[in-house]
Amino acid sequence: MDPAASRPAVVIDNGSGYTKMGFAGNVEPCFIEPTVVAVNESFLNQSRTSSKASWVAQHNAGVMADLDFFIGDEAIAKSRSSSTYNLSYPIHHGQVENWDAMERFWQQCIFNYLRCDPEDHYFLLTESPLTAPESREYTGEIMFETFNVPGLYIAVNSVLALAAGYTTSKCEMTGVVVDIGDGATHVVPVADGYVIGGSIRSIPIAGKDVTLFVQQLMRERGENVPPEESFEVARKVKETFCYTSSDIVKEFNKHDKEPAKYIKQWRGIKPKTGAPYSCDIGYERFLGPEVFFNPEIYSSDFTTPLPVVIDKCIQSAPIDTRRALYKNIVLSGGSTMFKDFHRRLQRDIKKIVDARVLASGARLNGEIKSQPVEVNVLSHPIQRFAVWFGGSVLASTPEFFTVCGFLPITSSVFNAKLAYTNLYFFLTSVALIMLVWNFWLNVQACHTKAEYEEYGASICRTNPVFKGMY
Amino acid sequence: MILLESHSRFLLQTLFNRLQNLQKCVELDHNWVEFDDVRYHLQVSMKNPHILLLSVSLPTPSSETIFVRGLPFGAIEAIKAAYGVLVQILDPPRDGFNLTLKINLAKLPANQEQKHAFLVKVASVREVVLGAPLRVVLKNLASRTVARDMDPLVALVHRPKESFFLVPQANKVTVVYPMRFNDSIDIVLATSFLQEFVEARRTTGLNNSPPCSWSYTPPPELKGVSADALSANAGFVTFVIFPRHVEGQKLDRTVWNLSTFHAYVSYHVKCSEGFMHTRMRRRVESLIQALDRAKPDVENAKKTTSQNRSFKRLSLKDSRVDSFS
Repeated sequence: MDPAASRPAVVIDNGSGYTKMGFAGNVEPCFIEPTVVAVNESFLNQSRTSSKASWVAQHNAGVMADLDFFIGDEAIAKSRSSSTYNLSYPIHHGQVENWDAMERFWQQCIFNYLRCDPEDHYFLLTESPLTAPESREYTGEIMFETFNVPGLYIAVNSVLALAAGYTTSKCEMTGVVVDIGDGATHVVPVADGYVIGGSIRSIPIAGKDVTLFVQQLMRERGENVPPEESFEVARKVKETFCYTSSDIVKEFNKHDKEPAKYIKQWRGIKPKTGAPYSCDIGYERFLGPEVFFNPEIYSSDFTTPLPVVIDKCIQSAPIDTRRALYKNIVLSGGSTMFKDFHRRLQRDIKKIVDARVLASGARLNGEIKSQPVEVNVLSHPIQRFAVWFGGSVLASTPEFFTVCGFLPITSSVFNAKLAYTNLYFFLTSVALIMLVWNFWLNVQACHTKAEYEEYGASICRTNPVFKGMY
Repeated sequence: MILLESHSRFLLQTLFNRLQNLQKCVELDHNWVEFDDVRYHLQVSMKNPHILLLSVSLPTPSSETIFVRGLPFGAIEAIKAAYGVLVQILDPPRDGFNLTLKINLAKLPANQEQKHAFLVKVASVREVVLGAPLRVVLKNLASRTVARDMDPLVALVHRPKESFFLVPQANKVTVVYPMRFNDSIDIVLATSFLQEFVEARRTTGLNNSPPCSWSYTPPPELKGVSADALSANAGFVTFVIFPRHVEGQKLDRTVWNLSTFHAYVSYHVKCSEGFMHTRMRRRVESLIQALDRAKPDVENAKKTTSQNRSFKRLSLKDSRVDSFS
């Protein structure tokens, strides 16, 4: 038997804001780190016009600098404390832009954070539903050529989010995934495990825009925040204090009547001088998340509210799936964590749907009574890393490895695996196992090193999740 | 990162988190695997939130290495010496693991610094257990003695079914690593890396570091070892450790560096592959740029036609295209 199949697969979910990494079979990722690389570029500043000897020195400095980099929180700390490091964010809007930085990021993830040998583990990576085939090829190239992984599966993150959802709801692989990350927002309808490619909607507003909006509000009110820290403070404010309101006017009134209850204080220390400062946090607490429901308060380019986008997305899906899609709207991504976000979303979508049902009823003069449409927005406690969790569940099933083209794993191994995974309380449901099995029959997209060597990087081009859609 | 740290980053992070939230009764059950097939399992139950059960499974030893009750020799003593009364060894260990430790977080020293040092020590349990026999040998070297019952050639496990060898003598210890790699490219890179490594040792700045050599054939020290253990495809690396390398504080680092030498080489092989790919990508990009520059300017040509359009008679089709653009 392939020894790599007896070890848990490595699951890495690279988001524009945070990367979630860990081993399959666990309920939580090992690390959640910002997707950022601090690169030492000091050698670039040396004068280029000097003699040949210094060219050699410069080359050596460049080689050393190639090894001298940090990722995650360490990177942010380094770039703050010294000027030799420049931050580079490899992922923008859910797409990898800088492959050099991405390769280094993975290298650190694998060797320094997870501390595993990539030759020993299968890998499950994620991609956004709109990733180009070329970048999927690049990912395959890096994983197989640089890291020598024995097998790789590139999953669509919205499908994984849906897979994570079925532990808390009914076992269903039909639903709409509303994935709001830091850099990208996608609304992805999935029917029986297949992505309905033509109906995917993207919104140019994501978690980062909420941060920028909070920052803007605080700056305009003249809060005493050092400019070099204002973005970080805005991010922290967003993560700790923001919530979704049901009605802006009421919320404004509440804040004005009882400022002591609603206005929070932020305390910090200026990085340069070390002097403490404090500032107030007022309306931005509920105005931040409001950009999803009333985008016109933030940008003039895009003014369609999120509930309308979701409704349009479902209306463009095949008619026989629509009711099921309305019934199962799953949230994923860190920016859906605002308090009561799912209630507000459900109420707004319900409003649109009811209005449409009422209008069609009026048009038909009440001759035909349609059944009311059920709208459900689901939220679960692991929303922040739902995609990672879905990956962990799927990669811990034995089918993951058999699908990867290896010898079937005997049932005894499966039982042993189950005994030591802590997912047993989820996986004991037979229905669920059957469901995962069906799902994997559909998604035979795992690539092995042998296949890669036989056919090249082009094996990563297509993802069967989209089969029949493109 | 040039050298790996001896503590597991995830384990240390989890221990600190636990300590800060001792009152919150959160269940914890985590499995993970490190390089060289060292597996960990950490468990905390709801009932006793301050009792941690840490299980470690070690790489399967090859036929040359002897494990005493599932552990390398000297490991139990090393654990007792490192952790004292705060840690209890459970017997038998958890199913499928070589060692299970019971750690009581409520009894930790109150002093912040000591507490920190203890947690780091727990997180580097791998060094304590796997490095135990090496530590015994090197300690003997520091006192310039050879234990009577010691074999002239000691095999220690460092990777699943692979061993490295020690030749303990009174005034020096010779350490020999057979290097094995799976991938053909890795073998080539590792071979040249090791040759450079030996070469780099000769520079004047490194006069005090242990002498090292590389050869394609097994060195004479390994006479009498089974042929199976000598089938290395990337040659043999030999270090000679003198008493000055294991004095006082240096001992810990020497033990860790020696027991993870293979991981160090393999990490650098991967790094150099990544490095070459970066260069290759940059080269391809610059070539594509050169190609793009060499192309006849398509956009300009289009522009001229659109500017000249007024001279052409507008057909219905053209006007439609215009209205879309």
